[in-house]
Amino acid sequence: MELVVYGIINSITLSLISLGFTLVYSISRVPNFAHGALYVAGGYLTWVFLNHFLGIPYFLAILLGVIITSAVGAAIYQFILVRIRGMEISEIIATYAIGLAILEGLRWGGLRGGTFVLPAFFPGSVNILGASVDYQRLIIVGAGVLTFIILYLFTRFTKVGLAFRGIAQDERAAMMLGINSDMTAVLSLAIGSALAGLAAILLLPLGNIVVEGGYNVLVFAVAVCVIGGLGSWGGVIVASFIIGFAQILTEYFISAHYQMVVALLAIIITLLVKPSGIFGKQKELEERV
Amino acid sequence: MFEAFELMVFFENMIALNNVSVTCGEGKIIGIFGSNSAGKSTFMHAISGIILDIKKKEEMRGGERISVYGRVFFNGKDMSAVRPHNRAKLGIVLCPERRRIFPESSVLENLKIGSYLTGSRETKQNLEYVLDLFPRLKDHLHRQGGFLSGGEQQMLAIGRALMASPKMLLLDEPLLGLSPAYQEIVVNGTKAIRDSKGISIIITEQYARPVMPIIDYGYILENGSSVLMGTREELMDNPDVKSAYFGV
Repeated sequence: MELVVYGIINSITLSLISLGFTLVYSISRVPNFAHGALYVAGGYLTWVFLNHFLGIPYFLAILLGVIITSAVGAAIYQFILVRIRGMEISEIIATYAIGLAILEGLRWGGLRGGTFVLPAFFPGSVNILGASVDYQRLIIVGAGVLTFIILYLFTRFTKVGLAFRGIAQDERAAMMLGINSDMTAVLSLAIGSALAGLAAILLLPLGNIVVEGGYNVLVFAVAVCVIGGLGSWGGVIVASFIIGFAQILTEYFISAHYQMVVALLAIIITLLVKPSGIFGKQKELEERV
Repeated sequence: MFEAFELMVFFENMIALNNVSVTCGEGKIIGIFGSNSAGKSTFMHAISGIILDIKKKEEMRGGERISVYGRVFFNGKDMSAVRPHNRAKLGIVLCPERRRIFPESSVLENLKIGSYLTGSRETKQNLEYVLDLFPRLKDHLHRQGGFLSGGEQQMLAIGRALMASPKMLLLDEPLLGLSPAYQEIVVNGTKAIRDSKGISIIITEQYARPVMPIIDYGYILENGSSVLMGTREELMDNPDVKSAYFGV
């Protein structure tokens, strides 16, 4: 029973991490390899606001952290990616370089050691089906589910959300209907980065803010997206649960060090068996014909 | 009201559109006929602005060099440098070749995405109008667009374009691959759109016969040049047109 509870929590954690990456890819076709860096930056910014602007309430610090992370994401598209849009390799190199610059810049600027900690929203823990779960993890589960519901409603029932869906499926056809593709791409990066920041603020109270976290988050996000099929929402949920439970099971039966191995192994197996992922479609070919 | 003036498009050194001028008055239906590679789609891309997007993407990729010359006027405004989504805002909406509906969205959602530019009241009116025009869509409102038949997809594509409240509708080969029954529905629908809403329509087609009865004025393209133009009667009486496009 413990395993199930922890498995679900871990899976939802993973899907929170990869949600922003998927959103950006599905709408603008930009593989945002700066995702992990934005995650750490979001956490670090919140920490700065919390500790250097004394007296600011926690939720305000969170809000500022998320908003600034989202602005950074939008700026990355507006000033850099817009020039190389459509060239996948350049997009990967550029976003990865930006990610490295942010992460190593933070390390150089003093983000080292274990002193960077965000407080939990509510301290304490509760017993669920024989497993001890602290409140922060319950909040993560709730927030994860809520984020999915909000995003679902947003993309089905709002004008901008529907424009997102149009652009994601056929950019040029959407353009003919008056939808500005550059603007939706900027918005998608802003929302994707905000989701990265949100994930950071929810997850980081469980540990320290460290630069390496950025690389781990990136690997997990890529693993989930590759397995679920790039740009597929259902894929994110299913793949998160597959990897999430696989990680918990290896942790329980083998050792905790194998978390990363599980994620990487899952990527390799997916690429060998079904390269487009569980729900992915190879759209490239169809478009070119 | 609409005028394309001396449009020329080159793909590298290949000329795809050679000095084509087309005018379209308010509430008129203009037909543009030609075989494959005559330049019909390039013409549609040029006047809807999509060519600018293709050009930009090719430039970034270091691919084909595309050059566009000539001017496009709409209601007295020079649109030549206006980007495609802004042209749609000003009223020129293209219903693209091979339909390009959103396959993963339901019929209703396709139409809703089409209404990006309109307010909620107008959206409601447009939706009613489209469903009255093509009642078959009503039966499949919640089916995924990709699962519709070709004819239904074409109705959906035209409906989606109408949701954007166009002042001028561009239909690029709307009859491609349709059965005669569906061809008739689409052609009658096109005429109904003009008659009831006064929307000007430019329609391209390979086979002149099904479209000829509804057009006011027609152009015939060959290898990128407009070789013949005239009113419906003039074109139908022309012996060359008769042999090439009617098989008489």
